[in-house]
Amino acid sequence: MMKKLSGARIVIEALIQENVKVIFGYPGGAVLPIYDELFKQNKIRHILVRHEQAAVHAAEGYARSTGKVGVVLVTSGPGATNTVTGLTDAMMDSVPVVCISGQVPTHMIGNDAFQEADIVGITRPCTKHNYLVKEISKLAESIHSAFHIAKNGRPGPVLVDIPKDIQTFETKYGGKKHTKSVSFYKPNTKPSLDTIVKFVNLLVKSKKPIFYVGGGVINSGSRASLYLKKLLKITGYPCTQTLMGLGATPTSDDQFIGMLGMHGTYEANLSMNKSDLMICIGARFDDRITGKVSGFSPKSKKVHLDIDASSFNKSVNVDLLIQGDLSKILEMTLKFIENKRISFSKEKISAWWNQINKWRAKNCLNYKNSRSIIKPQYALQRLDSLTKHLDPFITTEVGQHQMWAAQFLTFNKPKHWMTSGGLGTMGYGLPAAMGVQIAHPKDLVIDVAGEASILMNIQEMSTIKQYRLPVKIFILNNHYMGMVRQWQELLHGNRLSESYMDSLPDFVKLAESFGATGLRVSKPGEMDDLIKEMIKIKGPVICDVVVDPKENCFPMIPSGSTHDQMLLGPNDKLEGEISEEGMVLV
Amino acid sequence: MTESHSKHILSIMVDNEPGVLARIVGLFSGRGYNIESLSVSEVDSDRFLSRVTVVTSGTKNIIDQIKAQVRKLIPVHNLIDITELKSFIGKELILMKLDIKQNTVLKIHKHIKNIGAKILFEDKTVIIIEFSGTPTEISSLIKKMKVYNIVELTRSGLVSMALGKDYIRR
Ligand SMILES: Cc1ncc(C[n+]2csc(CCOP(=O)(O)OP(=O)(O)O)c2C)c(N)n1
Ligand SMILES: [Mg+2]
Repeated sequence: MMKKLSGARIVIEALIQENVKVIFGYPGGAVLPIYDELFKQNKIRHILVRHEQAAVHAAEGYARSTGKVGVVLVTSGPGATNTVTGLTDAMMDSVPVVCISGQVPTHMIGNDAFQEADIVGITRPCTKHNYLVKEISKLAESIHSAFHIAKNGRPGPVLVDIPKDIQTFETKYGGKKHTKSVSFYKPNTKPSLDTIVKFVNLLVKSKKPIFYVGGGVINSGSRASLYLKKLLKITGYPCTQTLMGLGATPTSDDQFIGMLGMHGTYEANLSMNKSDLMICIGARFDDRITGKVSGFSPKSKKVHLDIDASSFNKSVNVDLLIQGDLSKILEMTLKFIENKRISFSKEKISAWWNQINKWRAKNCLNYKNSRSIIKPQYALQRLDSLTKHLDPFITTEVGQHQMWAAQFLTFNKPKHWMTSGGLGTMGYGLPAAMGVQIAHPKDLVIDVAGEASILMNIQEMSTIKQYRLPVKIFILNNHYMGMVRQWQELLHGNRLSESYMDSLPDFVKLAESFGATGLRVSKPGEMDDLIKEMIKIKGPVICDVVVDPKENCFPMIPSGSTHDQMLLGPNDKLEGEISEEGMVLV
Repeated sequence: MTESHSKHILSIMVDNEPGVLARIVGLFSGRGYNIESLSVSEVDSDRFLSRVTVVTSGTKNIIDQIKAQVRKLIPVHNLIDITELKSFIGKELILMKLDIKQNTVLKIHKHIKNIGAKILFEDKTVIIIEFSGTPTEISSLIKKMKVYNIVELTRSGLVSMALGKDYIRR
């Protein structure tokens, strides 16, 4: 006879069945029964964050660095509403997260009860799916379905809202195997062979090809990266990656021509612009990539490989679309090439590589270094040189430092780069780094931060202290919301409205007050020593790297411009005024 | 924008669960798509399935995007674009309450008979009629009846079905 279990107990049992080892959460009235059950077991570790938004970002960091589902547990009302930014972030960047929230008891729902919020209503547009569990009989299937939905197809966040009475009611639970699925969700993962044939034909014919690789490859798993690496090798074609795709294949590879998009390299963006065949793999033609759509790669044939059919022809029309799991598509492509003994002549693309190498020779990431003041780019170059051999996990906040990190750091493995791409959430990097560190306790985890962003979830220093997480926080402190200042300089007559960071804390003392080590550096000559010391220290470190407050991030394609209208440096002036159309873009 | 807009009737089979309509409507409003007409009702009580009919309009790209987005919703089992099938019918229902005066009652009766509407209720002061037809037929009925005193009217959204063998799978 199966024993009857309380709803709260079923939650824990179901999480165990889903192989959950860690959850990030914060207690409150509406989830006390679940916290009570957590207390009674030792299979699942609970990490007490200091703000529910941070719980979701930590779960994202955990998920993105492992490929597993990240799990969050929060209370009703304010606990649940605090997760909204995190859930939206996970939605935009396709991160598998399951968020369990407590809710007021079923008979109180709709009464404006204490700490009641219609979180299922609020998160409907920012989750892949969500459930309000109104009957105990639906509890187990809702949780198992949530995991199924979060990780299959294009991953995303799923919320399960569980009223407090449901947590105390009892029912039988026979485990995952014996729980019927509420969801028939079965995304199409298998590509059709005839599209593969067409794809290979286009590949063979192209004289100016470019692989445009996004985060979908990383989400599809390590096999996708492996196959892509092989395909790159066989074809010899150039490859660019999006902000989300960095590390899908090694960025130290010679065929890698840099990130593309608004702050991408000259050679990547011009190759996109002038190519005759664009192979988009697991990316989505987002506006940060395309710039002005009408001028986006006007002469190329475009192939789009993706699991998500709604990404096709959304902003840019493509000539061939292949829906399916990327690792399957790439595997089938390689098999077809092998079986048909198709070879790719290096000669055919030699003129194209010559052209790309000329663009490369512009050395677009070059900057004017200084002996007296630390340039942020220099700080990151040194960080890269001194840590590369350790394959560090990098997270970032949002702003100039994020773009410089993307430009100057090396990513030789997938799942080592965690940044908020789609939503651009300041405050993402620190909690994400915690999640990464929990999953990889022995590895080097660095949050490349700005002094403004880091303050958005600085309370998590307390979590870091509690769990002795040796996260390294590398603040490029320019005393400005640098990215905001850069736009104000460029587009708003240099009126620096509210972008100066006044009254900053002393980051060294701040670190010390949380039991961490604080280090400060302001001279270029001391940069290496600081980094070496940071790595040596076993515990958490905040590095306050005082950098040039005026430096801007280049190359830059101003909004509403096309790839060939790129600004390469501070002396590059805009051609005429930015159009009104461009001014209203974000 | 020079691309032409066209009207599409989407028939969507969904799990009849709380919030499912909010998901569909929220998707349309959140992404800035039009809803010109909407009707929903359960059609399979054994499997708890509802059929939603949405009339929308947009360029081909937008319509394709709408369909792809709706298909992504978890409770959506199937979606067909009825307008893209060979042929189809689309009908609406209207209820109309007319204020009757002694001198118009005969005329109204005759009129109603002519257009094939049904009388659902009648007393000394008002008459309620029911009529089903294509949206154009309904609009033209309303126009014709304006000569009388229309107290109130209500129209269902469009429901639609393909002719011949085409049908929406569950
Ligand atoms: C939550 C949130 N609020 C506002 C913004 C807009 N924003 C983008 S970058 C930025 C400035 C970031 O400053 P800092 O962290 O110091 O980074 P820097 O650009 O100076 O490297 C702001 C305010 C945002 N991305 N996220
Ligand atoms: Mg700053």
